[in-house]
Amino acid sequence: MRFVVEVGDMKVGGGDDLLLTLALGSCLGLMVYDPAVQVGGILHAMLPLSRINPEKAQSNPFMFVDTGVPALFKALYDLGGHKTRMIVKAAGCGNPLGENEMFKIGERNYTVLKKLLWKNNILLESEDVGGSASRTVYLELSTGQTIISSKGKKWEL
Amino acid sequence: MSQRKLEDIMAEVRSFPSIPGAAVKLLTVLDNPDTPASKIEETLRYDPGLTANVLKLTNSAYFGFPAKIGSVRQAVTLIGTKRLIQIVMLSCVSAVMDKPVPGYDLPPGELWRHSIAVSVAAEGLVKEQSIPAADEIFTAALLHDVGKLILGGFLKEDIKKIELAASRGMSFEMAEHSVFETNHAEIGALILKNWSLPLQIVDAVRWHHTPDAAGKTNPVLDLVHVADVLSLMIGIGVGKEGLQYEPSMAATRRLGLKPIHLEKVASQTLERINELSDVFGSK
Repeated sequence: MRFVVEVGDMKVGGGDDLLLTLALGSCLGLMVYDPAVQVGGILHAMLPLSRINPEKAQSNPFMFVDTGVPALFKALYDLGGHKTRMIVKAAGCGNPLGENEMFKIGERNYTVLKKLLWKNNILLESEDVGGSASRTVYLELSTGQTIISSKGKKWEL
Repeated sequence: MSQRKLEDIMAEVRSFPSIPGAAVKLLTVLDNPDTPASKIEETLRYDPGLTANVLKLTNSAYFGFPAKIGSVRQAVTLIGTKRLIQIVMLSCVSAVMDKPVPGYDLPPGELWRHSIAVSVAAEGLVKEQSIPAADEIFTAALLHDVGKLILGGFLKEDIKKIELAASRGMSFEMAEHSVFETNHAEIGALILKNWSLPLQIVDAVRWHHTPDAAGKTNPVLDLVHVADVLSLMIGIGVGKEGLQYEPSMAATRRLGLKPIHLEKVASQTLERINELSDVFGSK
């Protein structure tokens, strides 16, 4: 089955599923995969910290990096995934041009992600982050193959 | 060569469809705050499609009126003329803005979703910051990218040149200008001028990527500028050019914005966009 992960959402699956998420601008796309049991998921988080809107974080933890990332890992544990085998990849976190700090939400999303992963002893296998391009990500759950498509080109992450 | 292209673009501006006559008429009627509800009802009666849409929107979750509103007269009394203008504009431009936009690689419905997103985000900023902004903000935000509908076709033809210009790191509307001697903001303003929309709306559209070049500062313009970049960042209506626009420091300073304001508004925007676009049956 093919599942589209909307902005501020997460989907997990396994077997023959294909997950994809479109138009990552400053949002974080986090792809996590356990090859031993062939389960994985994508999180499409919009903002770094849930404390700016705790009520929203309660109803939708996937909107924020600090609440969405733990929720994605937990969902994969429930499917039989194991932390030590997880392959973690990041995409998105772009920024508009110029030096206006206010609009560096992408940069802040990335910083919060790195902090979370570091605290939990998890390393990123690969990443395609920053810049001003919009990205689409495909994650094939039978193989874990992760493809980025951006500006009419495709490559493996 | 480039001169001829500019002439072709301007010819398309001249032949661009106008908004329905009832809408223009109604906007003039609504401009006068003393217009009785019966006059508005009379104007709408000649356009049953528009009337139906107005009632559908009025009863949508977005506007959140607890009681069901069954007639235009009731709508005018209950929601006031400001909201009614917004609703009429929404109904009138949805058909135009719903189209796919080649060149910018926007699938059907995506420009429309982006337009709604910018309106919702701009209104969110107004509320968050208690900015005294004119009622025009919603309509200006809704129409800010209408020029893309014309320039998209030309962009597609000259995409190599545009990409080369854009790869030098300049903002995308500058890349457009370097190839066409105009950009989608300017074209949008010309369309709206032909529609006889108020100057404040035309100007906000004209300068939405370059508010500091407008000569005269205006919160409506600054808000459309900020809300536009924010909507692209959260991936709504983000096309081939990605985030290749430069947010103005001066505009955010004039609005007194801090990072937390932007993030808070972003967190509230998604749901409201869905409430509005649900009415139109798109995603």
